[in-house]
Amino acid sequence: MTTPAHEDTHVDHTDVPEHGVYVPPSGWHRWTYPGWLRVIWATPLFGALGLGLVVLLRWAASWDPIWKWSSIATVELTAVPLGFLVGLGGFDYWARYCSGKPTLPEDHSRHGARSWRDYFRINTDHKVIGVQYVVTTMTFFVIGGFLALLFRAELAHPGDQYFNPQTFNALVTDHASLMIFLVIIPAFAGLGNFVIPLMIGAADMAFPRLNALSYWLLPIAGIMLLVGLAIPGGGPSAGWTCYAPLCQHQPLGDVFFNMAVQWAGASSIMTALNFLVTIITMRAPGMTFWRMPLLVWANFTTSMLVVLATPFIAGSQFFVMFDRVMHTNFFEAGNGGYVIGYQHIFWFYSHPAVYIMILPGFGIISEVVAVMSRKPIFGYRLMALSLLAILVLGFSVWAHHMFVAGMAGWLRVPIMVTTLLIAVPTGIKVFSWLATLWEGRIHFTTSMLFAVGFIFCFVIGGLSGIWLGAVPIDIQANQSYYIVAHIHYVLFGGSVFTIFAGIYYWYPKMTGRMYNERLGQLHFWLTFIGFNLTFFPMHYIGLQGMPRRVADYANRFGGINEFISIASFGLGASTLIFLYNMIWSWAHGPAAPNNPWRGLGIEWQVSSPPPIFNFEEVPQVVGSPYEYGVPGARHVIFGAPQPEPVPAD
Amino acid sequence: MRHRASFLQLALIAVGSAVVLIVVAYAVPWLPYPASREAGRINFVFWYAEWVSIFIFAIVAAPLVYSLWAFRVKENDLSDGPPTHGHTGLEILWTAIPFLLVTSIAIASAIVLAKNGRAGTDPLRITVTGQQFAWTFTYPNGQTYPVLRMPVDRHVKLTLTSKDVLHSFWIPELYQKQDAVPGLPTHLVVSPTRTGVYPVVCVELCGLGHSIMRSQAIVMSQNDYDAWYSGATKAASKPAPGGAAGGLAVFNGNGCGACHTFSAAHSTGKVGPDLDKLKQEAAGAHQPLDAFIRQSIVDPNAYIAPGYQKGVMPPTFAQTIPGPKLDQLVQYLASNAK
Repeated sequence: MTTPAHEDTHVDHTDVPEHGVYVPPSGWHRWTYPGWLRVIWATPLFGALGLGLVVLLRWAASWDPIWKWSSIATVELTAVPLGFLVGLGGFDYWARYCSGKPTLPEDHSRHGARSWRDYFRINTDHKVIGVQYVVTTMTFFVIGGFLALLFRAELAHPGDQYFNPQTFNALVTDHASLMIFLVIIPAFAGLGNFVIPLMIGAADMAFPRLNALSYWLLPIAGIMLLVGLAIPGGGPSAGWTCYAPLCQHQPLGDVFFNMAVQWAGASSIMTALNFLVTIITMRAPGMTFWRMPLLVWANFTTSMLVVLATPFIAGSQFFVMFDRVMHTNFFEAGNGGYVIGYQHIFWFYSHPAVYIMILPGFGIISEVVAVMSRKPIFGYRLMALSLLAILVLGFSVWAHHMFVAGMAGWLRVPIMVTTLLIAVPTGIKVFSWLATLWEGRIHFTTSMLFAVGFIFCFVIGGLSGIWLGAVPIDIQANQSYYIVAHIHYVLFGGSVFTIFAGIYYWYPKMTGRMYNERLGQLHFWLTFIGFNLTFFPMHYIGLQGMPRRVADYANRFGGINEFISIASFGLGASTLIFLYNMIWSWAHGPAAPNNPWRGLGIEWQVSSPPPIFNFEEVPQVVGSPYEYGVPGARHVIFGAPQPEPVPAD
Repeated sequence: MRHRASFLQLALIAVGSAVVLIVVAYAVPWLPYPASREAGRINFVFWYAEWVSIFIFAIVAAPLVYSLWAFRVKENDLSDGPPTHGHTGLEILWTAIPFLLVTSIAIASAIVLAKNGRAGTDPLRITVTGQQFAWTFTYPNGQTYPVLRMPVDRHVKLTLTSKDVLHSFWIPELYQKQDAVPGLPTHLVVSPTRTGVYPVVCVELCGLGHSIMRSQAIVMSQNDYDAWYSGATKAASKPAPGGAAGGLAVFNGNGCGACHTFSAAHSTGKVGPDLDKLKQEAAGAHQPLDAFIRQSIVDPNAYIAPGYQKGVMPPTFAQTIPGPKLDQLVQYLASNAK
C-alpha cells in the first residue's frame, strides 16, 4: 500500500473540493488544455508529421514510389492514434515528469463521474473506466453482431447473393476480430475494473493513469478495424487468424487489422499489469489470498496469461508488418521464410487467449451461483487451484490448432494429451458449481438464468472441445463448420453469457438503478433459444464437409444454412431487448438498493453507485466471501480498530 | 422449508437425458459414411468419445435440471442454503474420473493416429498441388490432372505442396485432411474402401476464390484404374506433344479449369470469365486475340471482364508457367476459342 494513488485515498477527503482546485482554463487556453479541443488539432498534426516523415524519407532515399500506401498506413496508424491520445491528455502527467517539470499535485479533478461528460475524457476512476469499457464493448458487440447477420444473409442460400468474396471475407474477419479483441477480452477487463478494487477493498487500481490510457487504446483499435472495411481495395480479409503468407498479399485494409491488433493488445497488457499489481499489493487488511472472491482469483490468473502470452501475438503481427514494409522474410516461403512459424507464434498467444476469454467468466459465474443459491462455493480452494492449473496447462496446448498444419509430427500426441487433460480442471469447476446449486435456495434472477445457461452451453462446448482435442476426430472436424459451432459454444454460450450475467448482476451497483427483470428474463430466453438453434446445427454440416469461411458452398447444405440464418436473425433481434432494457433502465429505472442480491462481497457493502473514493473507512476483511448460511458469518467489517499489516502470502 | 433430495428422481433424469442424447447421436448421420480404412478407425474414436460425452452430459444434466426444479424458491424467501463448504471425497472423484476418461480417449486416439499414418510397403504415390484456386494431382507417370483418381483398397500416399499460400486438402468422406504449405511438403495416407465420386474441398482460407476451390476424388476399381492409368500414360508418352495437345496439358496442370469454363478441355469452372467467349472479350478489350490471352494470363488485372472482380486471379502465372509452355497455352486457347 505504498503507491501514491493509494496514499491519497487514505487522507481525509473532506478538504478535497468537489471540482478540484483546477480552474478550467478559459479563452485560447482551452485549446491547449487536455481534452477534445486539443484532440482537434493534435490528431491532424501527428498525422501530418507521420505522413511527412515517410514521404520525405522515401523522397530523400529516392525510393519508388514515394507514396507507398502500405508504409504510410503503418506509420499513420501509429501516429494518428498517438496524436489523439496526446490531445486527450493521456500522457500529460508523465510528459511533465519526464521533462523535469514539477508535477501537478493530484487534485482528483479528473477522477470520478459527476456528469455524463466525465465518461468522455481521460478519467482515472476505476468505476468510470469500468463503465467506459462495458459501454464501448457492448457497442462493438452490436456492430460485430450486425456484421455477422450480414454474412448470414449471404449464407442463407448457396451461390453469390449480396457480397462479392472480398467483402464477404472482410465481414467474417471483422466480425471475429471485433468480437474477440474489442468485445470479450475488454468486457472482462471492464467488469473487473469496476468490481475488483471494490471486492478487495481498495480505493482504486494501482495505476489509475495507466488504467485510463489502457481504456482509450480500445476505441482506437475498434475504429481502426471498422475503417479498414471502407478502405479502397477491400477490408482486412485473411480471417482473424490472419495466416501468413496469405495476409502478406492482401489489400491495404489488412494493415488496419495488423495495427488494430497491436493497439488492442497493448491495452490488454497494460490492464493486466494493473490488475496484477492491484491484486498483489492493494488488498484490504485481512484479505488473504484464500479469502479473495473467485472473480479476483480469475482475474489474477487471467492477467498472468495476458502478460505472458499477448506479446506473442504482437510479435506475430510485427513480423508480418516487417515482411510487408521492410521486406524481411519471416514468413515468405520463397525467400526462406518459415510459414508454419507464424502459426506457432500466433497460437502461443491465441490459445491462452481462449482462457483469457473464459477464466474471468468462470469467476463471474462463481459469484452469481453462490449468491443466487444462498450457499458457499463448493470446494473453494480447488476452484482457485483449478484456475492455476488451467493457467499452467494453457501454455502447453497451443499446437492443437495445428494438428493438420504440417508441423512436426511428434508434437501431435503430447499436445493432444495436455489438451485433453485441461478438461479436468475445467470439469472440476462445472461439478463444483453443480454442488453449489445442490440443496441451495435458488433465485432465478436474470444473472442466474445466464449463469445456468452458461453451464449448459459450456458443457456442450467443452465436450466438443474434447472431440477436437482427439487428433483423429480433429483431422475430420478441423477448419469445418464444426469449429464454428465449437468456438461459439465456448465464446458465445460461454464467455458472452457470463458477460451478460455479470452485467445484470452488477448493473445496480454500476448505475445505481435496477433493470427490468421481466425484460431481462425475456432477453435470456430468446438469446438462449436463438443461440442453440443457430449454432447446434453447425456441428452437423461441419462434420459432413462444409468448410468454414466460405462465401459459397455445396448445394446439399442449402436447407440447413437457411435455417441457421433465420435463427441467427432471431438471435440478433434478442439483443435489442437487452439494449432497450439497459438504456431505458439507466435513465428511468427505480433506484437500486445498496445490496439487492444480499451478497456478502465488499462491493455490496457500499452505496449504489459507490462513492467516488469507494470507502469512507478502510474495510477489514474477517472471513471468506461465501459464508452464506453460516450464522453470524461476516466477510468484512467497517470501522474496525486500525488495520494490521496485510499478512504475506 | 427444507428439500430432501430424491436420488431416484436424479437417476431418472440422468437416464432420461442419456436416452435423448443417444437418440440424437444415432438418428442423425453426423459423419459421412466412411469410405476409407482410416475413416473406419476415426469413426471408432468418434463413437468412443460420443459415449464418453453422453455419460458426462448425463451426470451433469441430472443434478443441474434437478436442482433448478427442486431447489428453486420464491423471491421473498430470505433463507439460506446449508453451509456446505466441500467434500474431499467427491472432489477427488470428479477429478479422477474425468482424468481417466480423457486419458482413455488419448490412448485410443494415439493408436488410431499411428495406424492411420502407415502406408504399407508399396503405396501409390501422388503429388497434390494447391494453388489459388485449384487442386492438381501429379501421378508417377509425370502427368498432372485436375481430378484425383485412386484405385480402391490400396494405400495411397499423398505428398502435398502449395504454389502460393496455405491450402488445406480435405475429402470429407475419407475423413482425411492435411494443409498444403508453401516450401514444406506434407504427407497424408488414404486407403479408400468404397468406389465412388467424393468432393475435395479447400478448408484453409486462401483468398477470394477459396469457397470454390473444389475438386473431385474418384475411387475406381483396380481394373478401371489400371485402364485409365495406362491409357493416360500412353497418351502422355507420345512424342512431346506440341501445339494444342501440349496446351491442354498446361491448361490442366495449372488448374485453369477450376475457375474457367472451357468446353475444349471439358471444364466448367464459374469463378472466372467463360473462356469459350474469349473472342468476344478480346473484342471488348480492343486487342488481338493472342495478345489479349497472353496479357490476361501474365497480368490478369490489366483488363477485367465486365461483371468480374479485380484481384481474384493470381498474378503469379508469369513466374510459374515457363515461356514455351505459356506459348502452347496461348495457342491452345486461341485455337479453341469460339
